[in-house]
Amino acid sequence: MIRLLFTLLWSFTKIGFTSFGGLSMIPLISSEMVAHGFMTAAEVSDIVAIAEMTPGPLGLNCATFAGMRTAGLPGALAANLGILLPTLTLTAAAAIFYERFKDSRVMQDVMAGVRPVCVGMIFGVALELCASNYLAEGRVLLPYVILGAADLFLLLKVKLSIPKLIGLNALAGMLLFGVLGM
Amino acid sequence: METPKESAKESAAQPRERLGALLLQFLKFGCFTFGGGWSIVSQMQRVYVEERKTISNEDLLDLTSVGRSLPGTMIANIAFLFGYRQAGVPGGLVCVTGMVLPPLALLSVITLFYTAFRDSYWVAAAMNGIRAAVVPIILCAALPLTKSALVRRSAFVLAALALGAYLLGVGCVWLVIAGAVCGLLLCAARRERGRKA
Repeated sequence: MIRLLFTLLWSFTKIGFTSFGGLSMIPLISSEMVAHGFMTAAEVSDIVAIAEMTPGPLGLNCATFAGMRTAGLPGALAANLGILLPTLTLTAAAAIFYERFKDSRVMQDVMAGVRPVCVGMIFGVALELCASNYLAEGRVLLPYVILGAADLFLLLKVKLSIPKLIGLNALAGMLLFGVLGM
Repeated sequence: METPKESAKESAAQPRERLGALLLQFLKFGCFTFGGGWSIVSQMQRVYVEERKTISNEDLLDLTSVGRSLPGTMIANIAFLFGYRQAGVPGGLVCVTGMVLPPLALLSVITLFYTAFRDSYWVAAAMNGIRAAVVPIILCAALPLTKSALVRRSAFVLAALALGAYLLGVGCVWLVIAGAVCGLLLCAARRERGRKA
């Protein structure tokens, strides 16, 4: 049991340190999970789908899923700890460094270049998600586009809070795709 | 845990958040981090920039850039960076814990009957609805951030180049490093011009 927990911890530590977020970590997670027999390849693709449906990023959700299946709640905790280790070490060091030097001229100059790049990246992510959420096989999914446009209006003009918006969309989804079968 | 000791320097500009308040707020954020975690940025923008004025748009963008370019989970990185600024290492740990617990609890339950969850008609319908909201949520964070980042023409060009490179598949770490180099060069050039004029 203890050994299994360490295997989970180590496996997800490796995934954590070598991944930089998003779907780029799927191949790595897949090979680690299958190599240790934590999941089958089919389960990996299921968990990717489930991770997209539920809150929380892919890495954490995979960790919880693999940990729970192989060693119950202790396994889930060990796997989560593994994937969070970069945050608890590298990011912690970066936080200390950054807070100390953020007012220095060099850091100000650096951030003046990094900020626009980050904005470009966020729009890149949004475009990618547009393609996967509003298009299918080259066709525009009209119900999704209309719902998305309504959401944008609610967020920007009505200033609806994000939790409320997500709840509202879950209901709209049940109505549009469940009851009306669009 | 009550009033954190504030040194004169730190207490001047930014209001600081208490540990308990941070934990509660990040537990709430954690429940709604759909869309690969980017909605955390929108939620923080709403709560900490607009409502509580704890940090500025620039600060949030800086935390996002640094968190995105480090290895590991972006939202945990951003949570730690923000928590550290508010209340040191305990603040960072509290924010990460708050962020991680809701998905951990939810996925633990789902794992127990995941085939039923995966195949449920109503869950799929609700999740399709939520999917439609992800891009608007990200855009609603991106717009105010854009206003504060794109103050010069050179910044517009940089953002456009970064967008193009991102879509061509250039890794985020390389983009951030390139941005840092450009920032250093552009600012040095601007100062040089200022000195000559």
